[in-house]
Amino acid sequence: MPLPLAVMLLLSCAGVGLWRIWRGPSGADRMLGAEQLSTLAIAILLLLGAFLDQPALGDVALLFALLAAVAIATFVTRTWTRLHEAQRRPEEAEGD
Amino acid sequence: MSAFVIGFDLLLGAGLLWLAWQALFHPQPFAAVVHFMAFGLMMALAWVRLEALDIALAEAAIGAGVTGALLLAALGRLPDGPTPRRLLRAWQRPPVALALGSVLLLSLWLVWVAWQLPRPGLAAEVTAALPESGVRHPVTAVLLNLRALDTLLEVAVMLGAVWLVWSLGPELRPYAPVTALPGLPALTRLLHPLFLMVPAYLLWRGSHAPGGAFPAGAVLGAGGILLLLADGVPWMQRPEHQPLLRLLLAAGLVLFLGLALGGLLLTGTFFAIPLAIAGLAILAVEVAIALSIALMLMACYLFGEPGR
Repeated sequence: MPLPLAVMLLLSCAGVGLWRIWRGPSGADRMLGAEQLSTLAIAILLLLGAFLDQPALGDVALLFALLAAVAIATFVTRTWTRLHEAQRRPEEAEGD
Repeated sequence: MSAFVIGFDLLLGAGLLWLAWQALFHPQPFAAVVHFMAFGLMMALAWVRLEALDIALAEAAIGAGVTGALLLAALGRLPDGPTPRRLLRAWQRPPVALALGSVLLLSLWLVWVAWQLPRPGLAAEVTAALPESGVRHPVTAVLLNLRALDTLLEVAVMLGAVWLVWSLGPELRPYAPVTALPGLPALTRLLHPLFLMVPAYLLWRGSHAPGGAFPAGAVLGAGGILLLLADGVPWMQRPEHQPLLRLLLAAGLVLFLGLALGGLLLTGTFFAIPLAIAGLAILAVEVAIALSIALMLMACYLFGEPGR
């Protein structure tokens, strides 16, 4: 059966994403790991929806897709700019 | 097929436990927040597997999306670097041990009570009462008619949360000027129509299928957060619009309370909605609650009282 195999493949990809979230090392790495997990969850939900014959799972996938954009926008504007500045500051001090 | 499903569930459960542990005990706060966001994603998958699609929708919207964004933004206000682990002083140990012991006892008691609950629950009673509720989806019937008092109190709790956040101080201005991120306003303009369309769809679906006011409000609020990030809603911060903002924040709760008191006047019972107007009344309250929830999430996201 190809569908369970595909879900298992996606789950192993999710394992890689989890490892990246845990290991880092930079904030962007972790955030992209979480976004990869979100994308994989969408794919798993769509496959499960077809497999279990529950089309409503597509709605959950839709919400995942929309909210991933909000998470990444928040990260870039409110967290990453700050982390980036914190990393750049010592170099600027050396340059002076 | 069953082996595949069991394996999937086992992997999901193991992943959830691991993510929860990391979210609680990772030394770096940022990593802990990202683990928490991943936990929300996996938790929504777990709710899907438990066939609780309404909770999965709410978890996907609130747990994985909006709470993650709130925590990320809160992180921007914390000092950098890992938090130092403080050891407990001698006099602090007995109260901490007492608190932990009582939490343990309470959770054991909760497990015992949950074990004692009648099985298979109240599904048959809800199905029997469904024709008198005005909607065709059992979860919406329970949330907005049969046990509407719980939902009313939940909305009141959210309003209380906004009150608490606003009491912390003036609002947080964004760190990055929008001009430095030209992609952000463009992304917002592209995506925001979707953030308006999907809640309308969820609200419409709520009367006969999984959906309803809470996920709709959360998605609408997430769209609002995107607008806030791109500085797209300046009226929220203007002093002259503050009375309107407060009125809109309270509108869902007030309309819901009005419905309850109207039921008291018409039928003599608090929250008894006459069947003739039940469908329409529930739809009106759902729209008002969804709008209020969206505004409450945006208001929490300001991290302080605007216009001060």
